[in-house]
Amino acid sequence: MISVRNISKIFNAGQPGEFTALQRITLNLQMHETTVLKGPSGSGKTTLLGLVGCMARPTTGRILLNGREITSLPERFLTDIRRSTFGFIFQQLNLIKGVSALENVMIPAYSTGEKFSLLRRRALEKLDMFDLGKRVDAKVECLSGGEAQRVAIARALINNPAIIIADEPTAHLDSKLSHEFIGIMKVLKAGGSTIILASHDPIVYDSDLADRVVEMRDGQIVSEEHCP
Amino acid sequence: MVSVIEHHQHILDFTISSLLRRKGKNGALLLVYTLIVFILASLLFFTNALKREATLVLNEAPEIIVQRTLTGRYQTIPIAWGERIRKINGVMSVRPRLWGYQYDSVFQANYTLTVPAENPPESGSIDIGSGISRMRSAFPGDIIAFVGHDGLSRSFTIRNILDSESQLLTSDLILLSEDDYRDFAGIPLDQATDLTLRVRNPGEYITIAEKIVQMYPETRPILRSEIQRTYDAVFGWRSGLVMVIFSAAALAFFIFAWDKATGLSAEERREIGILKAVGWETSDIMMMKFWEGAVVSLTAFLAGTILAYIHVFFTSSALFAPVLKGWSTLYPAFRLTPFIDFAQVATLFFLIVVPYSVTTIIPSWRAATIDPDAVMR
Repeated sequence: MISVRNISKIFNAGQPGEFTALQRITLNLQMHETTVLKGPSGSGKTTLLGLVGCMARPTTGRILLNGREITSLPERFLTDIRRSTFGFIFQQLNLIKGVSALENVMIPAYSTGEKFSLLRRRALEKLDMFDLGKRVDAKVECLSGGEAQRVAIARALINNPAIIIADEPTAHLDSKLSHEFIGIMKVLKAGGSTIILASHDPIVYDSDLADRVVEMRDGQIVSEEHCP
Repeated sequence: MVSVIEHHQHILDFTISSLLRRKGKNGALLLVYTLIVFILASLLFFTNALKREATLVLNEAPEIIVQRTLTGRYQTIPIAWGERIRKINGVMSVRPRLWGYQYDSVFQANYTLTVPAENPPESGSIDIGSGISRMRSAFPGDIIAFVGHDGLSRSFTIRNILDSESQLLTSDLILLSEDDYRDFAGIPLDQATDLTLRVRNPGEYITIAEKIVQMYPETRPILRSEIQRTYDAVFGWRSGLVMVIFSAAALAFFIFAWDKATGLSAEERREIGILKAVGWETSDIMMMKFWEGAVVSLTAFLAGTILAYIHVFFTSSALFAPVLKGWSTLYPAFRLTPFIDFAQVATLFFLIVVPYSVTTIIPSWRAATIDPDAVMR
């Protein structure tokens, strides 16, 4: 379980541009469930995802991952947890241009020192999962929007993470590709993955993928809804 | 252990692929860097080789040379003066020398003619340096002619081609007998070009030189150490022309390194953010940037050094020669003997490669220490 306890996040604290992105958030996220954070832009969804995913530290409060307090861990341990536990799908996809789809998928695992042949085989399997077997050598800028999104998902899965975090995953997709994305997430959920999504797209938060929808506004949780 | 090696290998692979992705930028960078190394290494090889040649010459040189001057201009010296100089305490021996220059208008070359102290050629024959042999296609047994002081041509049979460790010493040299030289140059029997002195105790050089000047005020004693100092002044690191070239290259390098040190492109910063977000550690980013700097600087160092070696020792420093090799007797063809001082190459390595590698790490470290969630915002 991921337990978020009374966390706040203030950017530029004590400076003229001080901005409070999150205020005293408390939330428990169950493993093997899909949670959707919904709310308008600026509501704090992305910031909360970043904190849960060990990308940044809260200004106050604590986060526990399966009972282990992670907010006070040194940077190196946070990176290790981020790499081994979380797979990230970013709004802008954040694929590295000029590099093939295959290498983009392998990049998160380079830090592990895993044998290249094993790593490559696993990356090919992930790409095959998403029908990208024939596009492995294509540079990412040559891929269609849907293909690029699937490469980003394959990259998120390369280290076999327990938790998948996706930030506005359908923001740049048309309806067809958005539904395709939901379909892929369902497959991953059926495989036992924990999924946390931030979205203000009804295709996502109204879908039967979500087990729980958490609504946010102005850095606070305004409602929590368990889906049947 | 295996995973550590694999880890480094993955990072190095990614680094190389990153460098190749930005071919234009990195190619230009490599070119500039190689050019700077080339200039500095050429300078280093050139000055070192010249100094080494000079040292080889000076090793054989007498401790003191006595010349005679008239209103500051060189004159031949009476051999009889040597007898009196020999009697100065500390002087082991005095030897009159016969030597001079000969300009060959056909080949537009200067030759140095010398009567050797030991094993001179017999009258009518000469030994010539490899430079003259190469230029005039003259070999042992061939007959070669030179125009003497009276405008009349004299023919000589080539006995040997001089093959010495030092090209500077022998390239333009002609050895001939005393009789032939006096006839050729028109020097009377009681005169010599200069006198050479052997002195055992270095502490007495200056005292002996002073005594010679007192004895013969129109003489000019030249100490070996003074010649050495002249070579150092002309070809040393701190000498004028060398310093100008070195300063220009060093300035170019610092501007270049500063440009690298002051920041990364937006694209590079974005990439670093992505790598951190997907699980790379700050140390991985630093390692990648270290490898990037190392690959660029090592490639530039090796390419620049090899090109400099070819430039100095195979093309006779084609780019520097007009400026630095001003002494006319060095041409027509003067090829330096390949010689590398590894201590100085190592110094160049540490002055060039290490600072560059460090400057690439600093901006990367600054970028790598930002929170990875920056890519999500």
